Amino acid sequence: MSATPLVLADPPGPRGRRRILYGSLVALAVFAGLLALALTRLADKGQLDGELWRVFLDQPELRTLLWKGLLATLRAAATGMVLAVALGLLLALGRMSKRRVLRWAATTAVELLRSLPVLMLILFAYLGLPALGWQVSTFWALVIGLTAYNGAVLSEIFRAGVRSIDRGQTEAAAALGLRPLQVFRLVQLPQAVRRMSPTLISQLVTLLKDTSLGFVIAYSELLRSGRGAVEFLGSRYALPIYTVMALMYIVTNGLLSLLARWLDQRQSRRLGTGRSTVALDAAAGSAAG
Amino acid sequence: MPLVSLEGVGKSFGANRVLSDINLSVESGEVVVVIGPSGSGKSTMCRCINRLETIDEGRILFEGRPLPAEGRELARMRARVGMVFQSFNLFAHRTILDNLTLGPVTVLGRKRSQAEERARELLERVGIADKADQLPRQLSGGQQQRAAIARALAMDPVLMLFDEPTSALDPEMISEVLDVMRALASSGMTMIVVTHEMGFARSAADRVAFMADGRIVETAPPATFFDAPTSERARDFLGRVLRH
Repeated sequence: MSATPLVLADPPGPRGRRRILYGSLVALAVFAGLLALALTRLADKGQLDGELWRVFLDQPELRTLLWKGLLATLRAAATGMVLAVALGLLLALGRMSKRRVLRWAATTAVELLRSLPVLMLILFAYLGLPALGWQVSTFWALVIGLTAYNGAVLSEIFRAGVRSIDRGQTEAAAALGLRPLQVFRLVQLPQAVRRMSPTLISQLVTLLKDTSLGFVIAYSELLRSGRGAVEFLGSRYALPIYTVMALMYIVTNGLLSLLARWLDQRQSRRLGTGRSTVALDAAAGSAAG
Repeated sequence: MPLVSLEGVGKSFGANRVLSDINLSVESGEVVVVIGPSGSGKSTMCRCINRLETIDEGRILFEGRPLPAEGRELARMRARVGMVFQSFNLFAHRTILDNLTLGPVTVLGRKRSQAEERARELLERVGIADKADQLPRQLSGGQQQRAAIARALAMDPVLMLFDEPTSALDPEMISEVLDVMRALASSGMTMIVVTHEMGFARSAADRVAFMADGRIVETAPPATFFDAPTSERARDFLGRVLRH
């Protein structure tokens, strides 16, 4: 995958550039019009009244509630990420194993977990595990559900990354006397993680957003906390509260992406100065965030 | 006792027979150059010696013992045999220095500082000491192949396998790699070299093995082989490659 500037077409000529300019202006006008319309309608209904939006200043409990919700979200997401990465590695290793039993077991697990909705896995952990005589808190039910699904998806990402690496890399490592696990850990995985890092990060962002499914089993993460506040304060506060919550998700995920980019750059710099790479920097680092 | 011996080795890829009844033994300190037309099985034979390819018939002895099939023993045997590939295969995510220390540190359990010191010595020896902290892709093909040779030497091998080491190089870089190999040969290293470089075979080999259609057709000292090949196949091959 080389980054070429020409992805879809030749560079535009004079006529093409003119068309692109007109198109952009029209799109901008339409977008501005829609935004203005929405804002006017909201203003007409009194949704933009300062009093509604001052609720964050007037109600310190609301701020505490949302803050706690955010922390609960981050706690579940971080735990889920660490465990999902670990499970993903195990499953990927299993699927690439020379032993047929392991390969078969890992493949079955991955296919099964990937084809179930995350919500079902969370509900199964919450309702099914106690039925098996294993009590789990809402936190762990959420984390188990997220880990099971995302572990399966991550294992496929790792596997695709490893398979995209030239076979010569593996042969050279084997020829030095490295054992298969050492080849995986020291040669295949570091290259796979770097190659797949955009996909990895977007999957981890998905995991973070999916913590909102904790809602259904009454785990008080960000979304549930916000909704609780709306119910308590009245639905006229829905817009301000949900808007602020959306911003909190956006900022958190933005920070996660920034962290990933920073780790990637730091790794490149370190490579330049002759330090060896650390295998799971990107993934484990994001998890710690 | 020969260092390596192949006894009646045969191998097929499906219906395609790539090696038939290969018999070859290499003594310690000997340089054997394997030549022959493309598709004659030279590379496959070379890769069988450190078990990157498995064999279907016969056996291969290394230091008097059959090649281990798997596990710790196989890894230990491979650590004693250096391999240089056609496409270099330096670890793309590691600096040249880290390419050279990976094996000694993880496989031989050497101290990092000690391994780095030795790695710098070897880079000096192959003439790229200034490239230690660069990534493989920042080096030219010839420099990468010299780094790959140094990486293999860092394991202090008793045998070096070269699988067409100059075939992927631009012409002006071939000689810098051959010079390193020639120096290695005269230092007493045991080498098995698969190549199309007839000049190297003539000047550096103790023995030339000529392969065609998966068989070793002829084995002789280079002077004898190049001046008076006994087999029709070898005469035909040499006539074609040496004409220009």
